[in-house]
Amino acid sequence: MNAMNRRSFLSTTGLGSIALNALLQQDASAAGKAQALAGLPHHTPKAKRVIFLYMSGGPSHLETFDWKPKLAELDGKPMPESFTKGQPIAQLQGQVLKAQGALTKFKQYGKNGQWISDFLPYHAKMADDICIVKSMLTDQINHDPAHTVMNTGTAISGRPSMGSWVNYGLGSESQDLPGFVVMTSFAGRNPQPISQRMWNNGFLPGKFQGVEFNSVGDPVYYLGNPKGVSPQQQHDLVDAVKELDQHRNKTINSPDVETRIAAYEMAFRMQTSVPDLMDISKEPKEALELYGAKPGDGSFASNCLLARRLAERGVRFIQLYHRDWDHHGDLVKYMNICCGATDRATWALMTDLKRRGLLDDTLIVWGGEFGRTPMFQGKGGAGRDHHMKGFSMWLAGGGIKPGMSFGATDELGYHSVENKVHVRDLHATVLHQLGIDHNRFTVKYQGLDMKLTGVEPSRVVKEILA
Amino acid sequence: MMKPISLLLFVAATSLAAEPAIDFNRDVRPILSDKCFACHGPDEKHRAAKLRLDVEKDAQRAIKVEFLDRISSKDETERMPPKKANKPLTAKEIATLQRWVAEGAKWSAHWAYVTPKKTIEPHVKSAWPINWIDRFLYVRMRQEKVEPSSDANAVTLIRRLYFDLTGLPPSPADIATFKDSVLSTQFSVLVDKLLASEHFGERMAMYWLDLVRYADTVGYHGDQDHHASPYRDYVIDAFNLNLRFDRFTREQLAGDLLPESGVDQKIATCYNRLLQTSHEGGVQAKEYLAIYAADRVRNVSAVWMGATVGCAQCHNHKFDPYTAKDFYALSAFFADVDEEKHLRGGGADAIPTKRAPEIPVLIRKDRLVYEDSQRRLDRAKKSLAEAIEGRKKGIDGTNEQKRKVDMAYLEEIELQTTTIKALETQIAYYKMRIRPIMVTQAVMPRTTRILPRGNWLDETGEVVQPAIPAFLGKIPGDKRSTRLDLANWLTDSKNGVGGLTARVFVNRLWYLFFGVGLSKSLEDFGGQGEPPVHPELLDNLAIEFIESGWDVKHMVKLIVSSRAYRQSSLATQELREKDPENRLYARQSSFRLPAESIRDNALAVSGLLVLEVGGSSAKPYQPAGFYRHLNFPKREYASDKDVKQWRRGVYVHWQRQYLHPMLRAFDAPTREECTAQRPRSNTPLAALVLLNDPTFIECARVFGQRILGWAAKSDEERVTLSFREATSRNPDDAERGVLLKLLNASRTRYKADAKAAQDMVAIGQSPVAKALDVVELAAWTSVCRAVLNLNEVVTRE
Repeated sequence: MNAMNRRSFLSTTGLGSIALNALLQQDASAAGKAQALAGLPHHTPKAKRVIFLYMSGGPSHLETFDWKPKLAELDGKPMPESFTKGQPIAQLQGQVLKAQGALTKFKQYGKNGQWISDFLPYHAKMADDICIVKSMLTDQINHDPAHTVMNTGTAISGRPSMGSWVNYGLGSESQDLPGFVVMTSFAGRNPQPISQRMWNNGFLPGKFQGVEFNSVGDPVYYLGNPKGVSPQQQHDLVDAVKELDQHRNKTINSPDVETRIAAYEMAFRMQTSVPDLMDISKEPKEALELYGAKPGDGSFASNCLLARRLAERGVRFIQLYHRDWDHHGDLVKYMNICCGATDRATWALMTDLKRRGLLDDTLIVWGGEFGRTPMFQGKGGAGRDHHMKGFSMWLAGGGIKPGMSFGATDELGYHSVENKVHVRDLHATVLHQLGIDHNRFTVKYQGLDMKLTGVEPSRVVKEILA
Repeated sequence: MMKPISLLLFVAATSLAAEPAIDFNRDVRPILSDKCFACHGPDEKHRAAKLRLDVEKDAQRAIKVEFLDRISSKDETERMPPKKANKPLTAKEIATLQRWVAEGAKWSAHWAYVTPKKTIEPHVKSAWPINWIDRFLYVRMRQEKVEPSSDANAVTLIRRLYFDLTGLPPSPADIATFKDSVLSTQFSVLVDKLLASEHFGERMAMYWLDLVRYADTVGYHGDQDHHASPYRDYVIDAFNLNLRFDRFTREQLAGDLLPESGVDQKIATCYNRLLQTSHEGGVQAKEYLAIYAADRVRNVSAVWMGATVGCAQCHNHKFDPYTAKDFYALSAFFADVDEEKHLRGGGADAIPTKRAPEIPVLIRKDRLVYEDSQRRLDRAKKSLAEAIEGRKKGIDGTNEQKRKVDMAYLEEIELQTTTIKALETQIAYYKMRIRPIMVTQAVMPRTTRILPRGNWLDETGEVVQPAIPAFLGKIPGDKRSTRLDLANWLTDSKNGVGGLTARVFVNRLWYLFFGVGLSKSLEDFGGQGEPPVHPELLDNLAIEFIESGWDVKHMVKLIVSSRAYRQSSLATQELREKDPENRLYARQSSFRLPAESIRDNALAVSGLLVLEVGGSSAKPYQPAGFYRHLNFPKREYASDKDVKQWRRGVYVHWQRQYLHPMLRAFDAPTREECTAQRPRSNTPLAALVLLNDPTFIECARVFGQRILGWAAKSDEERVTLSFREATSRNPDDAERGVLLKLLNASRTRYKADAKAAQDMVAIGQSPVAKALDVVELAAWTSVCRAVLNLNEVVTRE
């Protein structure tokens, strides 16, 4: 809440100027807008916020960005054991492993000839905007733990997610919205579950948890007034609670009470600001068409448009999950659906951010929790199993070098072999762009200096920074 | 490279001479642990310069050579810790280390790993102390030049005791009974009454279930329901029966191995099955065996030993003397827990899923009635058969005699038939209450290997047998040690770590009743944890716990009977500044109620609360679509349509991936891992819950109904009474004024819009009292909403 709003809010309850001043000072620590930690940022940030387009389920790198002619040659033949021996296998345990060539065609686009598959015609238009990392690695081969690694840096439950870390470190720039917003969409194969753990605050304070915004029902749980209660009545109620709490606080003199009042004020503001944010029907027709969004449809396209609105309003970490990329079978069919649902909207978001001048300080990350095997799996038509030893993601905006590819997998797309980028390196890089040195960004928990990037060595991928 | 350091020592020693002597465990070890042990500690793989500072002999040698020079060197390349460690020593820390060396570098073993030592309680010339706890605290307060706070007023104290011991508010009648006597003669009576209440067990279970990560769902991937709820009832029952803590420990870890293993002991072994499990499509059995083993080691060490042994999964612990071998040897105790059944496809994408082995059980309370009914049924059946037989036989005698006897038989037959029918109905009812539960059944132990760097694919590691951490000794005997041996060791104060276990537990009790532990790090008693601020007190409490025969209720009573407990939580500005975290305990703490109690309190004040103890999990109202991201199978949440709707928070269905948003908003943990201490946040999401969650709206409305049901009274009187119901005190004029204003504004609005009033009172499934004027009810509901949102109402003072 800005000082002006705060004043008018307080004046309705007849608070004196001394109390008012005290309250304005309190703002820093109150539950409303969170401030940056002392000493942060560590260096000048390139990005102010992150939009993580989370392709949940694990999109195939072999049908998106990682073109492997050799794999096409081996199509249908046994997968050479030199690649698979002693490797963990998920659903293909105990089965004959056959190579599966790309199930689509690739072409080169942009100034640097980026390889992009035919499933992603709009990505082709962004070839000069994105930096494709083709040498990703993760630790986990199944969805739930791999999501947990991608979001929290470890497979052990209960650690804070990246969005929580970022908000904890940098604070929020929004007066009336949470600093970490999550939205989901689905269209495609029976989706894998996604746990709230992925946007939990772990051992960080509760106000840094990701808040899910829903396209159906209350946009935030319990946001709507109870039936039969008008906004004015709700306002009266919040005022009464505040007045009574403050009155009581003359006796108990507890600093918690001011924090609590700030939380109630923020809650009350959210009751207006969130529905206002979520209502895209007032967007110009041109904008809706650009994204292919229909108000209230809960699509990835609508979520992308909302992501832009959230970015404009100062939300620090925005995460959009599209849930249906788990293509064990009928990969072509489902790639068509998933890419159809996301490809154009992603391009629209990029275009929109660019022309509003927001791309420069917005870091976009695109990718899933892992990739898919070069081996065939056939639940229905041809598909691929989970794969953790090599996959692709891309980054754009926020000080990332545009129009390049980085790293490589081997000739069959199995192992990352060149310029490997582990998930924790990705985390280090994202934090770096936000002005945070991941090594110095720690919180004491259970006797350890916990950090997002964990205990294994990790590095900022300097090669992809502009 | 000896350097002259005596001058430096002299300066350090004299300039700080006024301060109390350095205590190694309190002042020095935490610095060494945090700043030095990572490279000069127990983990030999990462040990630098072959130097250890965690072992006395080695450390003393280093101190004689270059220790002080290195830590205070101006030369960046010389200075320790090195820059890249990102752990610089503060000037104060350097000064402490210098003083420590100057005072002779006295060393003592880590406080948590030595046997608790009894200290004679100090003599205190003051009337303030009530029991010996107070004498320890008082001496320290005086050293720090603070005075204890005055006693809380009677009403606050009664409320505190009710919330702390039962998690529920006192009723106005309870307040009336004890108000005038709690501070004099009836304190002990009240405490005994609360300890004897069945709700004591529920309150303690709220905490214990966080520690052992009890939940109603599997946690990973599909997060299906699993069968665990009888375990929750067992825990409640155990605290109510005051099951001795050593026995409680044995039953949970190894109830199946006890010679007298009955149903309750088998239910208790669900402890070993509470961890998160998965049967996601691509799960590899070996990988998950490793994950489960690690989970159990993390939990058992955190719950009983306050240790973070989980850190030693990939490498020797960096701060504590736990080795990777210790980690795997501890996990080997659980290598006989049957895991195969669900990992080999026994699990199911169903709600509930199956996690064999499971057995059907009745909880103790139900079982007693059931078994008694069964016995009575057998007796009744026997009597019936005898009566039928007797009647058939008849007697020799006059017709009149025959008729009389026949009548008597008939009556008997009728009586027994009725009895049988009633008993059969009862038995049928209890049969419906039979629930399956996951239990521990020992199988042939799996081979346990050290997994190099935690890598489950690497089978080159040494095979290990079940063993306790090596630095803590050895379980005697040649036989393979069992879970029962582990449980015995954990609670054996002579030959095991009973002293540590006792310290860990009493510290947590202290936290529950003072808001902050004697050691703040409830979950870590290792080198990185906080040494207790009152080590003698903690030790004496631990010894008392052991000597009492691990009597939990005794310890609770002892702590809450102290003068310190009774103090007011209102602090002077001076005290607050001097002791912001309340480590001197010169006041009580005031803190927000735990999530479950916030729910219970609103239900209790409204009159809706259902107080049945035990039973299957309850499903309160929850926003539609909240589970929509769950799958395998997809599921709809169906809230309870009967009185289960209003059960206590401790019974609420605990969905790990999507914990009920009300519980989550008030910091209840997801129970994926051990939680010894919940944060107490204050967020907009929590405000939205109290403002808009239908449970709280319904509570407000039913509370409103009660208010309107009171014999005709003025608005003023009603406001006063409603405020008093929720806070146990009368509002002052200003407070009454705010609520009356809200009442009148609301009344005006609802008079103008009867439809809105109708909508408002229709929230919740509890029926609306027909006789009441809907406009009035809606207006009073607004008042009650305000009252239930007050900070005071959700705070334990």
